[in-house]
Amino acid sequence: MTKEEAVEKARNDLAKRLKLDASKISESSVEDADFPDMALGAAEDDEMSGQMITRGWRIRLDANGKSHEYRADKNQVRLYKFKGKNYRI
Amino acid sequence: MNRNNFLIHVALAIVLILVAAFAGQLNRWRKHWKSEIRIVPAEEKKTIHSAEDIAMAEAIKHGRPEVLVKFKSGLSQQTIELLSARFNDQIEDRIENAPGWTSIDDLDDATPAETVAQYLVMPEVEFAEENYEITIPESIDSTSLVPVRPHDPQFGEQWALANSGQRGGKEGADISAMLAWATTTGSEEVVVAVLDSGVDYNHEDLKPNMWSRPGSMDAYQDAELGPIDDERGFNAIDNESDPMDQNGHGTHCAGIIGAEGENNIGIAGVNWKVRIMPLKFMNAGGFGTTKDAIEAINYVIDRKKAGVNVRIISASWGSTQRSRALEDVIRKAYENDILFVAAAGNASVNNDRKPHFPSSYNVPNVISVAALDRNDQLAVFSNYGVKSVAIGAPGVDILSTWLGNAYEEKSGTSMATPVISGVAALIVAQHPRMSVDDLRKKLLASTDPIVALKGKTVSGGRINAAKALE
Repeated sequence: MTKEEAVEKARNDLAKRLKLDASKISESSVEDADFPDMALGAAEDDEMSGQMITRGWRIRLDANGKSHEYRADKNQVRLYKFKGKNYRI
Repeated sequence: MNRNNFLIHVALAIVLILVAAFAGQLNRWRKHWKSEIRIVPAEEKKTIHSAEDIAMAEAIKHGRPEVLVKFKSGLSQQTIELLSARFNDQIEDRIENAPGWTSIDDLDDATPAETVAQYLVMPEVEFAEENYEITIPESIDSTSLVPVRPHDPQFGEQWALANSGQRGGKEGADISAMLAWATTTGSEEVVVAVLDSGVDYNHEDLKPNMWSRPGSMDAYQDAELGPIDDERGFNAIDNESDPMDQNGHGTHCAGIIGAEGENNIGIAGVNWKVRIMPLKFMNAGGFGTTKDAIEAINYVIDRKKAGVNVRIISASWGSTQRSRALEDVIRKAYENDILFVAAAGNASVNNDRKPHFPSSYNVPNVISVAALDRNDQLAVFSNYGVKSVAIGAPGVDILSTWLGNAYEEKSGTSMATPVISGVAALIVAQHPRMSVDDLRKKLLASTDPIVALKGKTVSGGRINAAKALE
């Protein structure tokens, strides 16, 4: 998965969760980041991950005046602490 | 020649012999006076390597003549003295326990090498050599070791094993692997289970050290799924036989434990010889479920009971979610004499306050590992805990095996964990019957104190593989 594909996947996911049109979601920032583990520091409940520093992208999307953080690498996209929980997309 | 001339020659000969004898005595006195302050040039020194050398050293320890000459058998002492007198040399001694050898003092200014050359051309001489000053180094003692450096081409980049200060590191901030290898480089009798994303068992630097189920052993019987052909290990994700790694993380950890050493390929593992049992419970993304981890641990216990000498589970993974079921199966592994080495986690937090699992389970076989960088500093990402994190090991920029015969540098407590698993395997190679309790104690007692770990881990030190084998 490329960075662009990851951003697109995140945008579509957020639109679905918020029941919004994807055009209403703006891209606040997309930056390279090192995450603490292979679940990108956003493990779901009952999920174990390799404890290796993992290079990926931190994607911040804005909608309805709120910011939402997604984390992605070539293998996965995750939503970080959405209403207190992590989700693997 | 008339009678008078003959007498004159005899008288001259006697005078010459007396003069030579007197000069020789003077020389001995001179040497005696100076013996306490003589400085031996470094190039004259020779290190003992064999028992024969030691015997020779013993034989000549009462003096230091300049050359040692072995005359051919059958020559009388008188003849030998006459031959020596030709060069104005003096017989010092015949060496006990070294038949035929004579030590000789040169009384003029010839160097030992010149004197040796003079004797070597004589038909009566079998051999001649300089009388080196022989020093008996401490290393001759059986407890002393000579570091062993493998010829794997990328070994110079493995700072964790031998830190020479490469890339700005601190010289000596390593696990003393080369010294440990003077004792053992591991054993194919020791099996280490790498519970991870699987292992690329076809990697050329791992292939000879991969475990496979002995032909005499029955295939694994899963309670629900029935027989599973575990010829190469176990895959808990699909409950099938193939534990091939699709991520790289497990392959990296396996290489740290046991990339084949001294094979002129890539790197050397902490163990040059070992058996790596691949267990796959994490997918291509590098994450998996607690349930699959439990299944894989149950598999290890089953194989141990079936006779596989699996003594260590290396677990470079975790989360902050506590699972009683996982804790119970790790305890079951303890009851089966299996050490469980676990990553402390990479959140830069104190595990005493915010535990990370499975490394924080209070089970006697769990050993939690923090990561150090090449300067003996706690890695910026590493978790710690003076009560809950046992020990430190190198875990930053660690070069190891990767998918497809590749090698990559990775960082994390994931990388520090297999260092400890590898050292544990070396200990078991040396002490096959050591209990899991003693193995854990031995690891914690085998560290170099590190300032950065004081008050941060139980042992306060970095693992030292050489100490672990003392």
